[in-house]
Amino acid sequence: MAAELRLADIHKSYGPVQAVDELDLTVGEGELLALLGPSGCGKTTTLRMVAGFEEPDRGTIRIGGDDVTYQPPHKRNLGMVFQNYSLFPHRTVAENIAFGLRMSGASRAEQQTQVARMLDMIRLPGREDMYPNQLSGGQQQRVALARSLVVNPRVLLLDEPLGALDRSLRESMQFEIREMQQRLGITTLLVTHDQEEALSMSDQVAVMNAGRILQIGAPSTIYDRPASRFVAEFLGTSNILTGKADADGRKLAAGAYSFALPEPQPAGAPVVLSIRPERMVLGDEAERCPSRLRGRITGAVFRGSYAAYQVRVEGMENEIFVYRQADGPLGAITYRVGEEHWLGWNADDGILVDPE
Amino acid sequence: MATAVDKTKSRLGARGLRGLLLIGPAVLFLVAFFVLPLFDNAMRSFATADGQGFTLARYVQLLTDRFYLGVTLETVVLSTVVTLICAAIGYPVAYFLVRKAGRWSGLVIFLLIAPLLTSIIMRTFGWQVLFARRGLVNNLLVQELGWLERPLQIMNTPAIAIIGLVHVLVPFMVLSIATVLQGIDRRLEESAQILGAGRWRTFREVTLPLSADGIGTGAILVFMIANGSFVTLVLLGGGFQTLPLFIYQQFNTTRDFSMASAMSTVLLVIALACLYLQLRLVRRQGGS
Repeated sequence: MAAELRLADIHKSYGPVQAVDELDLTVGEGELLALLGPSGCGKTTTLRMVAGFEEPDRGTIRIGGDDVTYQPPHKRNLGMVFQNYSLFPHRTVAENIAFGLRMSGASRAEQQTQVARMLDMIRLPGREDMYPNQLSGGQQQRVALARSLVVNPRVLLLDEPLGALDRSLRESMQFEIREMQQRLGITTLLVTHDQEEALSMSDQVAVMNAGRILQIGAPSTIYDRPASRFVAEFLGTSNILTGKADADGRKLAAGAYSFALPEPQPAGAPVVLSIRPERMVLGDEAERCPSRLRGRITGAVFRGSYAAYQVRVEGMENEIFVYRQADGPLGAITYRVGEEHWLGWNADDGILVDPE
Repeated sequence: MATAVDKTKSRLGARGLRGLLLIGPAVLFLVAFFVLPLFDNAMRSFATADGQGFTLARYVQLLTDRFYLGVTLETVVLSTVVTLICAAIGYPVAYFLVRKAGRWSGLVIFLLIAPLLTSIIMRTFGWQVLFARRGLVNNLLVQELGWLERPLQIMNTPAIAIIGLVHVLVPFMVLSIATVLQGIDRRLEESAQILGAGRWRTFREVTLPLSADGIGTGAILVFMIANGSFVTLVLLGGGFQTLPLFIYQQFNTTRDFSMASAMSTVLLVIALACLYLQLRLVRRQGGS
């Protein structure tokens, strides 16, 4: 029953606030697209318009080719999972899961077999008669998922589905939801402010800010090739270097420093370069890098699988972050605060981004 | 060892004493002017005519005699009718207050509570002005609109008493329901809609059952107050013969104090039963 979801030229404002601005988005059949952005960026409004709880001021929403822009939510045949699960507290697990089937007039026997099938799928067999408040957070989340999937929805909407779970559970649920989504081949729109969730669960990520989509692409593309400064900084940590291209357009002149550019730029053009901390090299190896700086370590943090360093460079506004994979026993901190070292990177690891 | 124990003991004692001093006056006052009179009242209902022996005769009479049973029944029926009307009127108002009123909710609450702030005398005269034979309503229906041949008889009928009671009691219902409605997560309703329930179905399947506790609390409150209502019924008339009216009559006309005491004990027991029900409702809410 999977169908393509297509949003075209969607506008939505609340009074003077433009919540969603000229939004175009397509989620292909069976694909999972994550809408990622800070709170208030318009991602939830977009989801609510797809669900039918809000109407756009302009534009069309199509599901499997049908225009549903102004269709009420109960006629859209969607599934939705909310952050707080939103299970009906006055109904048992079985009644919760069967709710959608009952609304569409399925027979009692059909409801029973489907409920049993779903409970098997979410690995909670035999919990039919329990009430939601008797289940743990993760179990409630799985029941909520089952409740939304049992009706074979055309599109599944996930609104910060893992926000209420603790960290370790969140990671296993990411795998679980993704696996289920792929196995059922269900078109899914995921809204999240958690970049890790967006990157690890989706086929495509759309980064939103201030009502607009800044970049859409595969998770690795978005991470490795951010189009703008906002995307680079919102997804993980980025070291941002700003300046102007020099006379022959091959180097970035930033104050007293000059760095090689990955590709030539018009002379004198403003340039913003983003380098991921894990692409930075620290210590003796850095002396061989074409772009390098000398700085003093102002912070060193052990993070398990890697160590994070904060380096202060004379004449630079922001500290530079460097992640180093564990090379000693379990990521032991090999450099100490106060030491002076070289840090550098290869020209290809510097990414030119839009200044916005 | 011994001294340490003594110390804690004396400290506890001091704290207990201070606590006692703080609540003492209130407790003394309640015991002297509420508990003892109630007790005295109850005892009187069990005393034989000469004041020496113990008898259950009055309760036997109250609970078996057709006439007295009728009075109790009428009290309960009137309160039930008032409660049902309050629920029917109160629910939509509470729904509007919580979901639609927005920044006007303060005004709506004020309008709701306004009847409670006006004196009973003013309210009664207000109803006279509205519903008298030549009152506003009849004038409108007969003369202005010509819908009726003869003026409606509303004053001194059961209807006016019910209208009067509903008028003062509906705020209790509305506020009880509104409190619960306020706490319902809108996403539960949205979940139902997404799963294929229309507006009415969503209301029936989710909103109404989840606000049942509010209706319950409101109903118990309204029922209890209606059960004991006296002034409204005296002033508006309507020919009701309820327990409070009958107690008054026993005191002033028949001067059978013991019978009046027995009846007030019955009224008290009904109220206590209601309180017990409410307590159980609240506990169920707390438990879930």
